[in-house]
Amino acid sequence: MRRSTVTGVMGMTEQLIIALAVLFVAAGLLSLVANQFGLSPIPFYILAGLLVGRFEFVTPGEVLTLAQWGIAFLVFVFGIRLDFSNVQSVLRDAEVAASIQLLTVGPVAFAIGYAFGDLFGFEEPLRNALYFSAAVVLSSSLVGGQVLRREIQDNLVHGRLASSIHFFDDLVAIAVLLVITADAFTADAITSQLGYGVLFLAVGLLFYRHGFPILVRLADGDGELVLVGSISILIAFLAAAEYVGLSIVVGAFAAGIAIREDGTNALDVRNGIDSIADFFGAIFFVTIGALVSVPSPEVAIMAAVLAGLVFILNPLVHTLAFVYEGYDARTAFLASSSLNQVSEFSLIIAIQALLLGTIADALFEAIILAAVVTMALTPAARRWKDRVFQVVISRLLGGQRSRKVDERSEVDADLDDHVIILGYGRQGRRLVERLEAVDRSYVVIENDPILWDDLRANCRNYVLGDAMSEYPWKKAGVDRASLVVSTVDQREISETILALEADADLLLRSASTDEAEVLLDAGATYVTVTNVVAGKELVEIVEAIFDGGTPPSALKAEHLKTLEAIERDGFDTRYSRY
Amino acid sequence: MSEIALAADFAIIVVVATAVGLLARQTGQPTIIAYILTGIILGPVAFDIVTDEGLVDLMAELGFAFLLFLLGLKMRFKDIQEILRPVTNVAFGQTVLQTALAFLVAWALGFDTTEILVIALATVFGATPIIVKILTDKDEITSMPGKIDVGVLIVQDIYLVVVLALFAADDLGGAADIATTLGVILVMISFIGIFSLASSRYVLPKLFRRVADNKEVFLIVAIAWAFLFVAIAEGADLSAKVGAFLAGISLAQLPYSKELEDRITPITNFFILVFFATIGLQIDGLNALLAYWWQAIVASIILMVGNFWIMFYLIDREGFSVETSFLGSINMIQVSEFSLIVGALALDQGLIESDVLGYLSLMALFTMSVSTYVIAYNHTIYAKLEPWFRRFESEGDKSDALSQYRNHAIAIGYDEITERALPNLEARYGEVVVIDRRTDHIDEIEREGRYSSVFGDFRHTEVRKEANLKGADFVLSSSVEREVNEALLSEVADDATVFVEADRIDDARALYDLGADYVIMSTHLTAEKLATYVELHATDRAAFEGAIAGDIAEILARQRRSRDRFGGHAAIDGHGGDGDD
Repeated sequence: MRRSTVTGVMGMTEQLIIALAVLFVAAGLLSLVANQFGLSPIPFYILAGLLVGRFEFVTPGEVLTLAQWGIAFLVFVFGIRLDFSNVQSVLRDAEVAASIQLLTVGPVAFAIGYAFGDLFGFEEPLRNALYFSAAVVLSSSLVGGQVLRREIQDNLVHGRLASSIHFFDDLVAIAVLLVITADAFTADAITSQLGYGVLFLAVGLLFYRHGFPILVRLADGDGELVLVGSISILIAFLAAAEYVGLSIVVGAFAAGIAIREDGTNALDVRNGIDSIADFFGAIFFVTIGALVSVPSPEVAIMAAVLAGLVFILNPLVHTLAFVYEGYDARTAFLASSSLNQVSEFSLIIAIQALLLGTIADALFEAIILAAVVTMALTPAARRWKDRVFQVVISRLLGGQRSRKVDERSEVDADLDDHVIILGYGRQGRRLVERLEAVDRSYVVIENDPILWDDLRANCRNYVLGDAMSEYPWKKAGVDRASLVVSTVDQREISETILALEADADLLLRSASTDEAEVLLDAGATYVTVTNVVAGKELVEIVEAIFDGGTPPSALKAEHLKTLEAIERDGFDTRYSRY
Repeated sequence: MSEIALAADFAIIVVVATAVGLLARQTGQPTIIAYILTGIILGPVAFDIVTDEGLVDLMAELGFAFLLFLLGLKMRFKDIQEILRPVTNVAFGQTVLQTALAFLVAWALGFDTTEILVIALATVFGATPIIVKILTDKDEITSMPGKIDVGVLIVQDIYLVVVLALFAADDLGGAADIATTLGVILVMISFIGIFSLASSRYVLPKLFRRVADNKEVFLIVAIAWAFLFVAIAEGADLSAKVGAFLAGISLAQLPYSKELEDRITPITNFFILVFFATIGLQIDGLNALLAYWWQAIVASIILMVGNFWIMFYLIDREGFSVETSFLGSINMIQVSEFSLIVGALALDQGLIESDVLGYLSLMALFTMSVSTYVIAYNHTIYAKLEPWFRRFESEGDKSDALSQYRNHAIAIGYDEITERALPNLEARYGEVVVIDRRTDHIDEIEREGRYSSVFGDFRHTEVRKEANLKGADFVLSSSVEREVNEALLSEVADDATVFVEADRIDDARALYDLGADYVIMSTHLTAEKLATYVELHATDRAAFEGAIAGDIAEILARQRRSRDRFGGHAAIDGHGGDGDD
């Protein structure tokens, strides 16, 4: 043990520590590079592994074990974040589009994969084709989701769409993992795997309802014990999975389901598991990179084809599928441009297959290389998305778009001196009510198809289309309007409205006073800055309490009454995102 | 397929440790005892299911290293400076006097000369991990007694490294050889120390400012930094933990250290659990343990009492208050598990037999268990014995400087909402502490110099402690996340005024129920205002123009203000304060 530290000979532990040190220093250095360019660190961890992989001592058996714990923790965290109440609403957005992509791109990729298997003489061409196909079809929630964080926060439609697809893909990945650990590709073996999978899930759910609360009660407020207890649950599920021959991923997923994220210590436990998962996760990504050697021509070809399919075929199919579902072209394109990278779940599938010995080495390395390339390029590609959209997509779908808008709009042809309202969320609804009360005509422009029924039912005039393109504005009669009110604080939208050069007064919205100043200079009549309004109100209240001597309880009571009134009038958030 | 959980030793340790830990919690025992007990149960003494090799050893080493990394993170230079001299004196005196005492006791109990020497050398060390862990959990690690103890322990650790390196050196011919080896070791430690300090001044602030905004990269870069030092230390044949400690110190001076502490702590706790278990695992077997059982107990009692008085005398002599001296001493009464390391080494070199090692183990176990309870209840014990100890009070005792905020106002998130209200809060409460997890916001606050700031995520315990949430009189949260505000409301003092933000009405209601004094709902406020303006536009154009003119003037005034202050754009860009993740 530590005796060996002392005798001056490099004991095994010391070697492992040095190996880990090399690993982490490489990962740290490259993540600095990633951070500098605003890219996701994950492909850079893999890159770090590629660089240090030449040193044999970096990947002894123990480090590989730690890497597998990385897999376990990554999936564990995924399972914990899963909120069953959200599943339905999240999937609803995506099921059609995701299925279309699965059913069209999947077989194509499978065929290409099989062809490669034949060409390069793989031992199990069917399985390898499956892995190839999975790598093409599934997209990454870790990298893709990170790239989209702002959009998801701002409730932009395309952010929502893309994250739904990610989620769907992750679930598919887990199902695939269930299947590949089957001993043979027979119907019996696969069904028994699926059966076990369902069993594990059921046990996880059972634990979620009854077991975990017991743990929390026994821990009696000690966050550390709850954390350690959660990890013990993970270990127990992993051990059980291994015992029955399932992939550890299934065990980790079921364990994640078993953990509750509410109650006391929830923040501490979440932070704790996140930190530990980041630690082991980094080891996983670097290790997987280290397992790749200098690419042979076969590897290079497969990686190139894989990346090409992911980068070009996937977004194409996604875009068309979204448009088919009723989203405007721009939203469809933006959503799909966040979906073009190889998923970290595909990496997990690959490494599990490697450990089982059912994947060809060349394909394994190709998948990893393709992952690095696609994961690193995605955030970079988004910078050019707008240009690609102008140049390519809008030309392709041009005529169709105006037709779509016409189909889904209802505007009185002789509207004049009206108000155009952009966005039908809380603010939009309020505005509609007020304008109807003073009998002013208005048109609502909105791009989310989910709200179509609402618009039809409650608005006299509406246009369902993309505010970034010209046609919806034309349809809404922007040259004849007296006022345009935007409830969307996206800069691009505000700039688009300014660029319309309409005679109408422009009431825009912005997230910061910096931006507001710029917009005012550019010609906006007024800019609402939410935080400034709230800030003013806050100061009034604070002064009321400090100087005016009003007791806080009185203000509280008054506020509660106001909130009740708002609810009664139906102006509170209807969907969790508006 | 390799099995990572089923047959993994450390997995078994974690699961059993959890079970025993939960049991300990229910019966009011400290969890460290549970972890050590786990090792005893699973090791050669009882069931012998696991060994301390492979991953277990790795995790134990990492755990200890991370613990000292964390420790280093908490050491600010000015803290160390003021106690450097007293601590060195105490450490030196303690080593000499405790070695002498152990020598005497061993001689009295009838061990032979070599054995006496080994025992004396081995038992002088305090149990760093236990003391650090318990004091950290009790949040006393930065109190004066805590700092003194930590200082002494660090000096002891360096002393230990030197001793072990000496022991390990292959040919120690004469005094000259010993002197050279000693010299080399000290020079290496100094080099690493200087590297640590230099990078802390020149390299790290810039490096970390870039990554501090990105949670994951921040953690990985910090871990990489720690590992760098660990690798250097290992390569120089020093111990990993000395390197980790120096790495921690270099980061302690940055304003981002609190946030980092919170992210590293769970990893440390996870690994250190394995470490404590290995203490139990190291004991060779029941026979060896019980060979000298009564001698061990007698020696333990004498040493515990003796060590206490030695430390008390030394600390008191440096002019610290009686309470500080008492607490500082009572935390250090145990024999460290280092005694096992030194003993094992001596066994390897053929200087002692395994039953003497068993004696050392039993002493360590006994004193560690007793001291765990003693440290856990140190204040209660002091309260009981205080009257008697007051006779040692003398003039001019240094008092404990408490540099904490009290009766202050806290603002979580620095954005347009909170910024407006800060002057009012300052007028009323005197001191305002702003918590924000964006480096540019913190920079702006520091440049202005008017308010205090804490960099970090409010979700993290360390950050809340640093801002002294419990002692605040007013808290303003600009986070719309319900869990954050709920945590806030549960931790804050009952009579504090709390303003929070919410996005949805149910959340607002729930927060009111939990005791919020006001819930700001910015979206509804804006919606209302906007609706009013639109209506005015449709009905009374003149009034409309007037209303918006006022608002616009204010926006422009605000921009002018921030330009005057900073000569550029304000850093605030309104993507919310703390609720960003």
